[in-house]
Amino acid sequence: MSTNAASKEAPPGDAPVTIRVSGVSKIYGDFVAVNDISFSVRKGTVAAFLGPNGAGKSTTMKMLTGYLAPTKGSIEILGKNPGDHGARLELARRLGYLPENGPLYLDMTPAELLAFYAEVRQLGSVNKAIDRVVAQCAIQDVFHKPIGKLSKGYRQRVGMAQALLSDPDVLILDEPTSGLDPLQIREVRKLIRELGEQKTILLSTHILQEVEAVADSVIMIHEGRLVFEGSFEELDEDGDGDIERRFYALAGAPLDDEEDEDEDEHESEAN
Amino acid sequence: MDFNVVKAIARRELSSYLGNPAGYVFLTLFIAATGAGAFLQEGFFARNLADLALLNKVMPAILMLFVPAVTMGVWAQERRLGTDELLLTMPVRDTEVVLGKYFGALGVFTVGLGFSVAHVLVLRWLGQPDLGLMLSTYLGYWLIGATFVAIGLLASMFAGNATVAFILGALGCAGMVFAGTEPWASGIVGCAVFAGLISLLWTAVQGNTEGAGLLGLIGAVVGVLVWLGGAWKGFEEAFGKLGVDQHFYGFGEGVVRLGDVVFFIGIAAVVLYLCVFMLGRRHW
Repeated sequence: MSTNAASKEAPPGDAPVTIRVSGVSKIYGDFVAVNDISFSVRKGTVAAFLGPNGAGKSTTMKMLTGYLAPTKGSIEILGKNPGDHGARLELARRLGYLPENGPLYLDMTPAELLAFYAEVRQLGSVNKAIDRVVAQCAIQDVFHKPIGKLSKGYRQRVGMAQALLSDPDVLILDEPTSGLDPLQIREVRKLIRELGEQKTILLSTHILQEVEAVADSVIMIHEGRLVFEGSFEELDEDGDGDIERRFYALAGAPLDDEEDEDEDEHESEAN
Repeated sequence: MDFNVVKAIARRELSSYLGNPAGYVFLTLFIAATGAGAFLQEGFFARNLADLALLNKVMPAILMLFVPAVTMGVWAQERRLGTDELLLTMPVRDTEVVLGKYFGALGVFTVGLGFSVAHVLVLRWLGQPDLGLMLSTYLGYWLIGATFVAIGLLASMFAGNATVAFILGALGCAGMVFAGTEPWASGIVGCAVFAGLISLLWTAVQGNTEGAGLLGLIGAVVGVLVWLGGAWKGFEEAFGKLGVDQHFYGFGEGVVRLGDVVFFIGIAAVVLYLCVFMLGRRHW
């Protein structure tokens, strides 16, 4: 494994808390998707929301954006409750969100899509904002092509551009590197690291190496429960350097899982 | 409420529809169907009158099928792509999203209706239609469409996919087309309204849709008992008032009654309110 983490600055311990989740649960009928989780993310931090598929990461992120309301517990982002009707609108202006699988209107071009979201967001300097995100996400080449004809990698970048459009203080990214090729993964991670210097970013992933590459802190959930919160180094509890073993132990999966091996291969290419 | 947001969403909806070849196929079919309704019916030339009286008889039935075809994809498409989540986490109110979608779909319908003005040109070529009458007739068509677009939008929000949205929307519009035509038809529509209201109330009280189908069935049975049991003498008459025909009749005669205009706009407003309610359901 590479150690990009070593080049990162230490997370600012005294920075104000931007995202605070306290005792949050989401229950659908008999199914408990998220079970009493609490964590916080400080300003200027890239926090990785780690966990196997189906752990409850996306549900938690949907609650953070105000799309879903928690069954129990409270959420505070920038001091406001996203579930509160009045506060949600104000909060939504300062929040960028990339939902899982980067959903986009396939009949539009990136140019039309970004103009549409800029209008919906009531941005003042639309052209400037669009120029900025187009450069940040490197989508100049496909700017006037229908999104339906773009590759997965480009679509994901258009999704990122959409999330960055309002230059938000908080970014919530649900699996931002899924479906990208190794080179694109590296570019997106670089962008996230750059953005993380100014903004608060919570990104979800089920890939351990991603955490090491971009994150200052780790929040790990498994089967809806919080199983770890701390720095990447703290994940290596016994100091033997075998973080992977700890990860799989927390995720309750055997180390020789075939799928995980595939991901490891994929990841080592990316790094 | 911010009308710029409503405008942005409506414009996207309209351009998405009109930028798609399927949209033009629907528009062409609409013109063909209304053209056939106006001129290809027995008696058009025998009557020797340059008017749209024959089309007026079949227009509600044409709209009952055409409008849900326009609205079926409005919400189902968003849900399929997952873009609804993105849109609803923007700084927008649920009301703005519903109105934006509504005006977008209404815009598509208005474009279709606009093209069908060609029929009036044909009438002018054949004879001398009364332009005031044509204007009131078209206002009537537009108001029926405005009500049906709201019903279709609600169906699109209820249904998981476009096909079910079309069927539900067409059924909802059919209720309004057939109510008031025959006492038994009004009775059936009344039972359907009972079923819908009770399952909606159940959903609102309980916080989720579990068991809403069963409650709907119970509502329908209650409706049948009230209707046929004779507990409410004016049952058929009351629900017969929901019929489109009697409210459209005046427009077709060149008379614009305020009560009829209020009826169409009122039904659309109530249904749009239910759409906002449906959107808020995700928070439960």
